[in-house]
Amino acid sequence: MSANSNAGKVYKIVVACGTAIATSTHVSIKVKEFLEERGLQAHTIQCRVTEVPNLALDADLVISTAQVPFDLDIPVVDGIPFLTGIGIKEVIDRIEEILRSR
Amino acid sequence: METVKAIGDFLTGLGAPVMLPIVIFILGVILGQKVSRAFISAITVGVGFIGLGLVITLLFQALGPATDALVKATGIQLTSLDVGWGVAAAIAFGTTVGALVIPLAFGLNIIMLLFKWTKTLNVDMWNFWHYAFTGSLVYLVSGNNLLLGLIAATIHAAVALLIADWTAKDVQEFFKIPGVSIPQGWAITSVPIIKILNWIMEKIPGLRDIHWDSESLEKRLGIFGQPIVMGAILGLLFGLIAYGFDTRVLTLAVQMAAVMLLIPRIIAIFMEGLTPLSEAARAFMQKRFSDREFYIGLDSAILIGHPITIAAGIILIPVTLFLAAILPGNTTLPAADLAATAFFVAMVPPLTRGNLFRSILYGTIIMIVVLYISSSFAPLMTEIAKSIGYAIPEGAVQITGLSGGNWIAWVLTNITKLFFGG
Repeated sequence: MSANSNAGKVYKIVVACGTAIATSTHVSIKVKEFLEERGLQAHTIQCRVTEVPNLALDADLVISTAQVPFDLDIPVVDGIPFLTGIGIKEVIDRIEEILRSR
Repeated sequence: METVKAIGDFLTGLGAPVMLPIVIFILGVILGQKVSRAFISAITVGVGFIGLGLVITLLFQALGPATDALVKATGIQLTSLDVGWGVAAAIAFGTTVGALVIPLAFGLNIIMLLFKWTKTLNVDMWNFWHYAFTGSLVYLVSGNNLLLGLIAATIHAAVALLIADWTAKDVQEFFKIPGVSIPQGWAITSVPIIKILNWIMEKIPGLRDIHWDSESLEKRLGIFGQPIVMGAILGLLFGLIAYGFDTRVLTLAVQMAAVMLLIPRIIAIFMEGLTPLSEAARAFMQKRFSDREFYIGLDSAILIGHPITIAAGIILIPVTLFLAAILPGNTTLPAADLAATAFFVAMVPPLTRGNLFRSILYGTIIMIVVLYISSSFAPLMTEIAKSIGYAIPEGAVQITGLSGGNWIAWVLTNITKLFFGG
């Protein structure tokens, strides 16, 4: 698939944490900001870790601030760097790479 | 003293949906946020507050009469309804201490970092509500002494940083998250309990060698892990006991499900407002302390995904209900915080090298402590909620929150009562 055919696509990202409220809101806001800067549009769905398997079925990517103890068909990215600010560029690069290859 | 009181009276007069945004706006600008961004954040937090108020009214109207009926029908004295951490936080942030807690705890954190008394930079501003909760209780029992309330909140915040430092290495190694510590206001109070239990356990032959690391339970959890389903089932259960076979049972089930879904959604609005501020605080500090090693203090929510934590959290739901029914003197009726039981054992796996057996055992002991403390807080919490304008239905029912059941608040409240209580 060429990069062009992805133009205008809105990616679906599942953002998980322990509560579906606190840290996942933080990550959702930040990831949308960063992706927008790179010309990617994303729709985020927040959930608790236990809800990930159901929601991951039709998503492009899972970002989680807590451990995800399930086997999934889509990539799982660690969300902690969004909270600490350490290693955040690497994570965004990785997310961009995953999304552009889908 | 007079000035402190005057400021306190003025802020209280404005009400939480106004005073908290003002404080957040000012702090945001000081930390270098754009004025427009700081303004949007501040208003968003105010909106979150108003939204919480709406849902809390729904919660009281639905569950208040049901709890009354439950007590009458069964004769058990569970008259203190657990309204959950969302409501407890709204009440804690809604007081004068709550309005001032963010600059206070952040200021304290900067001072402690400057003097190298801590390595933790706590950016988890939402959970400052725990410190506000402690401060608000002390404020109330001291006869509205704002200074004592602020001191109590500061003590809780300081202890949180110290315990976060103490457990940082265990948390980082166990969860493989470098550079992070957990100063969450309730979680840190569980740490000394866990350490003491560990010490006792190591003395008992047989028990000390039991190590379960089952990972199978959470996969069978299915739909019961969803708060909305849990709410409906709890509503059905309470309703059946309270009303017998009656259509009100079904209404209660849907109302309870609504509360479980809506409160978190609205707290997310609150979080949207707080996130840019916590970002600004982090950036501000990282710029100034770039040469130093420090930990970013985060919410214990990041620990909840561990299979052992999830498993122990699920087992604790029936255990907590059972304990509430049999413990003599307990008045707490566990409800909304049953969706958050995993939080009460979040610190156990990292401090026991992932032992499910100990997570369940310690969790049970922790819940006994939590039930008694939240029972003793019920009259105070009810009074604070009334004083900041929440309409609590008249009757025997009081409100409390399992998530408010921390012993630091209990100790400080009782010391205050002893020396300053009127």
